[in-house]
Amino acid sequence: MKGLTHFVSGIAVASFFPQAVHMAVQEKSFILALGGIFGILPDTLDFKFARYFFKPEFEVRPDPNNLDAKKIAEGVAEAVKKAAEDGKSTLQLHTMQLGANRWRSYSLAFEKETSEIVVEIGPEIDTGQLPFLGTEVKDPQKAVARVKVDCEFQQDFDKKSTIGIMTGPAFEFAKTEDGKVEIIFLPWHRTWSHSFTLGILTAFIAGIIAYFTVGEGPNPDLYTLPRWMMYPLIILFGSAIHIIEDSTGFMGNNLFYPFTKKRTKGLGFMSASDAVPNFFFVYTSILCIIFNLDRFHPGQILETRAISNPWFYWIVFWALPSVVMFYLYFKGQGTKSKKKNKPDFDSPKMEHEPDVSVI
Amino acid sequence: MQTVLNLILNPQYLILVYFSFIGVLFSLIVSFLPALHIYNVLGILMLLVFHLEVALPPMHLIALCIGMIVGYSIFNTVPASFFGPGDESMSYYVLPSADWLEKGRGYESVILTAIGSLGGIVIMAILAPLFIKIVPILKTVTGPHLFWILGAVIAYAILSEWPKGLSYSSSRLTNFLEGWKYLGIGLLTFFLASILGFIVMNKTLVPVDFAFQSITPVFVGLFAIPWLITNIINIGKVPKQHIPETVEIDWALVYQGSFSGFLGGFFAAFMPIVTAGIGGLLSSHATAQRDNRLFILSYGTCKTVYYVGSFLLFFIPGVYLTRGGLASIVSPVMFATGYREYFLFVAIMVFSAGISFLMLMPFTKACIRLVEKVNYKWVSIVTLVLLIPAVFKFTGFGGLAIMAVATGIGLMPVLFQARRMNLMAVLLVPVCVSMAGYGNHVLRFLGLI
Repeated sequence: MKGLTHFVSGIAVASFFPQAVHMAVQEKSFILALGGIFGILPDTLDFKFARYFFKPEFEVRPDPNNLDAKKIAEGVAEAVKKAAEDGKSTLQLHTMQLGANRWRSYSLAFEKETSEIVVEIGPEIDTGQLPFLGTEVKDPQKAVARVKVDCEFQQDFDKKSTIGIMTGPAFEFAKTEDGKVEIIFLPWHRTWSHSFTLGILTAFIAGIIAYFTVGEGPNPDLYTLPRWMMYPLIILFGSAIHIIEDSTGFMGNNLFYPFTKKRTKGLGFMSASDAVPNFFFVYTSILCIIFNLDRFHPGQILETRAISNPWFYWIVFWALPSVVMFYLYFKGQGTKSKKKNKPDFDSPKMEHEPDVSVI
Repeated sequence: MQTVLNLILNPQYLILVYFSFIGVLFSLIVSFLPALHIYNVLGILMLLVFHLEVALPPMHLIALCIGMIVGYSIFNTVPASFFGPGDESMSYYVLPSADWLEKGRGYESVILTAIGSLGGIVIMAILAPLFIKIVPILKTVTGPHLFWILGAVIAYAILSEWPKGLSYSSSRLTNFLEGWKYLGIGLLTFFLASILGFIVMNKTLVPVDFAFQSITPVFVGLFAIPWLITNIINIGKVPKQHIPETVEIDWALVYQGSFSGFLGGFFAAFMPIVTAGIGGLLSSHATAQRDNRLFILSYGTCKTVYYVGSFLLFFIPGVYLTRGGLASIVSPVMFATGYREYFLFVAIMVFSAGISFLMLMPFTKACIRLVEKVNYKWVSIVTLVLLIPAVFKFTGFGGLAIMAVATGIGLMPVLFQARRMNLMAVLLVPVCVSMAGYGNHVLRFLGLI
């Protein structure tokens, strides 16, 4: 899911605590925004920190002045062979920058049926990933290469990664019990940072700080939970909603790191970069926020509420637009499926996250 | 029904069409002058109207303003594409637009934006009756929460900027420092702009007589001058521009772009201080945009909905939300408006948008001819030479000093490829902090009170 989706969902979760809404209104507290901050935090940790701790064993640095798909494919094959022999290896693919706004693209695919690594040199592209016509490599010997390896691939979905702009993707290759080599995309992503364990730990630390620093608010008898507890709870649920939302995609999360070692598979309902699901989550969250801000306004009773008819609100503003959104989504999926025989970057069963802008 | 018939059968309303047309023409001239903002011009116009005691009925003034703001929201794409952006809302659009200009597709980019603008106007016109019901509810519900919503916008703006480094080095530390260089500049820009904001909003050097223009040198310094300096240093000759007879676009793209742009524009129009640049960023993230054409088109919608929508909100009966510069400028002379004025507003808005769109094509072609004949560098130099005395004229030496500091801060994201949106901290942070009630603490800490 996109960062904004997690951010708004985090705020929505926080808005379900009446006391937090009261704190915002009566004490000018920013506590509701805290849910958003911890909602986006797992991705912030990954893309601003964790990626830099990843040390690949193999690196492929294609030379833009001497383009050779075979050389790239052999570099990848070397990493795969190492994994087949020793059990594990890691690989970093680098991009080819030609100018301030010009890059040479290439793609990488692992073909299960033939155990081949397929590399295709693509056209030159701009930072918006639009190709420059006529920049394709003319020599087919240099443009496409297939290198066979002596092991089978295990991959959860058809994958053709396009390496174009900014930092290229990283892979981990791990030998499975049945002798196959599992291909793990972005091994540094959605691991410790995307675990409930981290959320619990952060909430625990925040809880200790809050317990000693947050005083009793006005009218404590009105609330079942003490005021200091709002902070750890909002942090906990804010980060948890991120993990739950990400689990609806393909990549999954390492839910209880360090007790669990691997990323679980996602439910595969949608791709992280799909427009409609992202918007659906954002829209639903905004409706929840507005609804909660209204119903939890201090001293509010139904008759004085701005949203005096909740059924009307949810049916007109949520149910009907949701039907339209799902219709458009499944219609779009159907159109994409027709093109499925071409397992490319836009395939519906794709978790295309080669650059951080789509996360 | 009676009201509608009354409107149609009373030709005296045609005078409003005349005034809106004048407004559109005026905005065309303003748009042609690079880095000049319609709000500054309107402020001066209002002063002239008061000073010369020109008799102008309020509704005529409204029609004039609608024509100006609608025209400006559509025309300003042209100078922003070919000469440089006038404010933050435009600078968000400029990067992809400059890219298209470099490929000879500047005209296409302008037309796509204008299609988006028309889409925004159509959506606003359709939803205008609904606004009467929804906006008061939104105002009531969000009113006590605006400070933390602004805080959340600030937090997201900071947290959502990702490292830009290439990570080519085998040293992790080198890669980390390279990636964080961009983020660090972004954070520093944000911090400095915030401090500048606190200073200019509380202890400005601009003379009291020109207090209504006190923010002008800040914006000229943060956005216009850095762009002009970059143009003077970097840009060579503008490549030959292709003027296509048709634009490659389909209805799905129009619907998607207009919808997404409307969301961002409406958010920016509704929220105080939030600009179309920020609204556009949020909506493009919310709808997971990836296509450049979609971005350009939706941005057209976003900025039009922002500029025009913020003025429209002022006319919603019983709400009278003062959002955006124009509403603030005209609010002293406005009377309490009712449904009749509100729907007249909508009608004038649609008319002005149609006229503006028709005028946009020859205007763009004229600009293209100009940039192909005149060296782009000289256009920027002349603009810079005109801009600095203009700032001095309206804000004195104090204004020039503020502009110089703002220019230094404004150059940082341009030179280090950080997000220019961080510059909006100049307004976002002081307003958010003040709304939350911590303004005096910060001012005391900074030694400003």
